Amino acid sequence: MGKTKIKIDYSVCGDGNKIDPRECAICMKVCEPALFLLHQSLEKFENDNHYDPQIWRITPVYLSLCTHCMNCVEGCPEKAITVSW
Amino acid sequence: MCDHCLKHGTAGKWYLNARNYTTEVLDDINIDEDFLKEFLLEQYKTFESMQVRKLAGFSAVGLGYKIKIPIIGRITKYFAEKMLHSEKSKFNPFQAEGHIGQVVPLDDAIAILENCVDENTIIMKYCMCRFQTRAEKEACCINFGIMSDIIDKLPRFIPEPEDSKYRLTKEEAIEKFTEFNQKGYIGTIWYGAYPYINNLCACKTPECAGFGPRLNFGIKSIFMAEYLVENNPDNCQGCKRCITMCQFGAINFNEDTKRSEIDHSKCYGCGVCVYACRFDALSIIDRQVIPTLAGKY
Repeated sequence: MGKTKIKIDYSVCGDGNKIDPRECAICMKVCEPALFLLHQSLEKFENDNHYDPQIWRITPVYLSLCTHCMNCVEGCPEKAITVSW
Repeated sequence: MCDHCLKHGTAGKWYLNARNYTTEVLDDINIDEDFLKEFLLEQYKTFESMQVRKLAGFSAVGLGYKIKIPIIGRITKYFAEKMLHSEKSKFNPFQAEGHIGQVVPLDDAIAILENCVDENTIIMKYCMCRFQTRAEKEACCINFGIMSDIIDKLPRFIPEPEDSKYRLTKEEAIEKFTEFNQKGYIGTIWYGAYPYINNLCACKTPECAGFGPRLNFGIKSIFMAEYLVENNPDNCQGCKRCITMCQFGAINFNEDTKRSEIDHSKCYGCGVCVYACRFDALSIIDRQVIPTLAGKY
């Protein structure tokens, strides 16, 4: 089995676009091994308030823990996540 | 007794030495209070992005695969452990340098709060680990010392008024911590940049960023407690309550004897199961009692 790849479409979710990941966060809540990470968007960090940042994005970090349950793909309201392996 | 206890424990456990909770200990490594404040503020400002920020071309993204690469994996593991166990006085705020912790059972946590911590500085803030992995805000980290001076600048960590008061007295902190322990959260004590101790967390796996690397990838990011849990088969009724409480999968059910069995090599000694047991069958024992596990933290 190859390496798992999880892609999130940042033009829909995070980075100050349509969905604020702090409010939606469905993929993070349904993920059993908790492999997603919610963090300040690094590219836009310079323009943001450093003490209370407002631009966030989700990055899949511990990809090797993915069980391919597809809960995040099904749960995403904008179908922004694709999982391949 | 581990190295930390020998160096910082004055013939006891390192986290029960009240000196490590004062800024006096910073003189040992020649850094001053203001520097540490600035460092912690810088670190907490970008706390969530620590795992995705590249350091020397390396980030934690896909860590499980990186660790399996033959030679590079070992080097990665070596440098990750070196960073976490760092005892240098130069810190980089973009990595968790010198941030190593140990599991503490409830009794020790109460002793810490009662005897070691300055009462005027106890605060409670949102757990960052649970926020960064689940986007949930749950106030369960108890901090003290320097953190209480900088928390006002970091609004996203301060609990909302309806959640709880965030400056606590000793009694309130003990009460809160006992509540967390009974809920099944694991007590952990952390160096907030070695050798200064500044937080007592109530952790939960798999969200905890401290337990994750150790449980998933074998990187020593947290030490096991000085204790182990033992089951008294005479009292055990086989109700399996302890099995559901254990976050490490260390308790199994023996179908032949209809009793719980504790796998001591997996037991972190957090003592959460002890409070779940209704029949007084589980007890905390010293790790040194079992020769094969003595000194293995």
